[in-house]
Amino acid sequence: MKKLLTSILALGVCASAALAAEPLITAAKVANVNDATVWEKAKFETVTLYPQTAIEFNDKKANELTAKAKAKKAQVAAVHDGKNIALMVKWADKTKDVQGIKCSDTYSDGFAVQFAAATKKPQPLPYIGMGSEGRPVIVHLQKATAKVYEPNGNKDVGMQINRQQTGVFGKELADFDAKVAALANTDFERVFVAEGFRSLTEIKDKSVQSSAAMTYVPGGWNGSLVRPLKDQYVNLNGTVPVSIAVWDGTNMGRNGLKNLSSWVAINLEGQKPNAAMVAELTTDAKGDAAKGKEAAMTNGCNGCHQLEATDAKSFMGPALHNAGGYSTAAYLRESILKPSAVVVPGYNRNAHANTPWYNIEKGKRVSTMTDFSFLDKETVDNIVAYLKTLKAEAE
Amino acid sequence: MSKRQLAMVMDLNKCIGCQTCTVACKTQWTNRNGREYMYWNNVETYPGTGYPKNWMELGGGFDAAGDLQPGVIPNLEADYGVPWDYNYESLMGGQADSHTFHPHVSPTWGPNWDEDEGAGMFPQDNYFFYLPRICNHCTNPGCLSACPRDAIFKREEDGVVLVDLDRCQGYRYCIAGCPYKKIYFNPKISKSEKCILCFPRVEQGLPPACAQQCVGRIRFVGFLDDEESQVYKLVHKYKVALGLRSDYGTQPNVYYIPPTESPAKFDAEGKIIEGSTRLPIEELEKLFGPEVHGAIKTLKAEMQKRKETGVSELMDLLIAYQHSDMFRLDNNYYQQVAKENKRNPLAPVDTRYIAGKFTTKGHTQTLFGGHTAGGHH
Repeated sequence: MKKLLTSILALGVCASAALAAEPLITAAKVANVNDATVWEKAKFETVTLYPQTAIEFNDKKANELTAKAKAKKAQVAAVHDGKNIALMVKWADKTKDVQGIKCSDTYSDGFAVQFAAATKKPQPLPYIGMGSEGRPVIVHLQKATAKVYEPNGNKDVGMQINRQQTGVFGKELADFDAKVAALANTDFERVFVAEGFRSLTEIKDKSVQSSAAMTYVPGGWNGSLVRPLKDQYVNLNGTVPVSIAVWDGTNMGRNGLKNLSSWVAINLEGQKPNAAMVAELTTDAKGDAAKGKEAAMTNGCNGCHQLEATDAKSFMGPALHNAGGYSTAAYLRESILKPSAVVVPGYNRNAHANTPWYNIEKGKRVSTMTDFSFLDKETVDNIVAYLKTLKAEAE
Repeated sequence: MSKRQLAMVMDLNKCIGCQTCTVACKTQWTNRNGREYMYWNNVETYPGTGYPKNWMELGGGFDAAGDLQPGVIPNLEADYGVPWDYNYESLMGGQADSHTFHPHVSPTWGPNWDEDEGAGMFPQDNYFFYLPRICNHCTNPGCLSACPRDAIFKREEDGVVLVDLDRCQGYRYCIAGCPYKKIYFNPKISKSEKCILCFPRVEQGLPPACAQQCVGRIRFVGFLDDEESQVYKLVHKYKVALGLRSDYGTQPNVYYIPPTESPAKFDAEGKIIEGSTRLPIEELEKLFGPEVHGAIKTLKAEMQKRKETGVSELMDLLIAYQHSDMFRLDNNYYQQVAKENKRNPLAPVDTRYIAGKFTTKGHTQTLFGGHTAGGHH
């Protein structure tokens, strides 16, 4: 009976997924995720990645290049073998940008896969960009870089020495040289943990055993990631929410200048899906977008936020013209009702002394936006439905 | 805002452009591992393109309203110049091309490419002076404001601006944000690096290497709140030391005594035009703001006073009879800070260079199995 219920539920989910904004991905059960042939049979789904435009960075050339950024479509598939999960992301990129070691103003292409550390409850999921307090995310980043000679395998410089001016000689120096030779030519793969903006911290103790790679095929990249279903940071089972980001070096993309998907649900084949999570991530926002737009205007949202890409540029609050693409309805609702739950930092505080969109109180960012909890539920639903329509067209 | 602010004053009248400071810094900090092109200290000829090329036109800093301005990140080849090497090995090894001594690339630009060119027509009215530049350790740093990762910080103890290399991931918004372009990208480790005001030396009571090695003895170092220090007297008491391009709103903490003397111009006959000066005041105004008029007036008045009366505290300060008098570094203060924070006074006061905050197992560095630092955070 239980089995039957699960399959009915799964069927229902599939039916609603067909109409939904985001696809439902099924990670097929395979014998070994490291077997390259598994991708031949894997079913790829289209996930749309939206330009992240909440805040404007201060790179003049990059801002010019990304002014008219469009959403990208990526093909995503997943498999698991009970111990590890593997993802394959394919996206179009006409120019192959590999960061060399003799440049200061060029950037590499790259991709990242983000996992929520706590995945049982769909609401609230961590904030899509960088997690949020009490809702950490794990981010796997792979950049296309030339092999880098790194005298310190830990990717920091504390141990570097100057051979001409060192107090270390003889055997110790020879040992150092041997170590350098062994550690040189490392690949740019990083794993981070984050609990909100500006907390992104690299996990350097090798406690995450993952492996990412990027391969350029004519017209675009194939990015792959393999990581354990369970480690001290995440415990993935049933339905796994993931988010995918890609960077384009030609557009000087890095950090916030990227294309980002919303949370996407991946069901692990052979495990019981989390129906609430699937429903949250695959169904459209309820509410009347047209009425929501009216409510947004009458409540003055556009006084501080840039709602359409064409709105005046010097916005005070974070720009929302792509928020509908990468934000979940639950997050948008939370931001209306509790604006300080997640505060997107702009430039450092002292850059916006006159018009801060947040203040720092007891070390926490407190939004200067008033909470709109006085609005009735229907109006909030309508505004959320409207905000979900705000997103760039796909290329 | 830090509790105290360490500051440096450079007397441009005394700078001879010998680059000893540059070399002192380069051999100490930046001659390796992706830092080859970096000059945390450089001396450029002004007027000139500077290093990186046209740094004053690359944006950054703040506007009058206090908003950070967009900037341009210089290109290593075109704007800094590839740090070329020479064919030493083939020359020493007697190989085929050893008859010629040449760079291993064809250089197109580099630091001091336009050294001593200056401006004006030779010989009538050509002019230039030397402008040594380090990170200004600003009170309101553009680099810090631009960093989306909070990887740049100003030390509480002395206002030194540092990059937390554990947090830095090489996004380079700091470079766009710094109007002086005094923060550099290390392409080998994909992180930003900058002048650290020799804080490990300062904590031991030693001045920064650039200041100690300066043969012209142009540099004074001390705390701005120390009324006995030369920097306090030059900046606040006599107001003759001025910040470079203060109009960018970053409130720099490296100050300059503007050059006051320059030769007179020649007329068409080749005769000296009495009362003329080759150095246009507009150039100095551009660098040091309108306060430069007052500073020059004070300097000239004190020079005159010295001539007439033999007494001038300002002139005594600028002559700098004792090298040691130029640096008031208050080593006791650093020892006190270390004691208050229960740190080893011999270890660098700041440990933010080390250890990942969220790395649960603790991130430990061991240097040749000896010194260990870092740990659980």
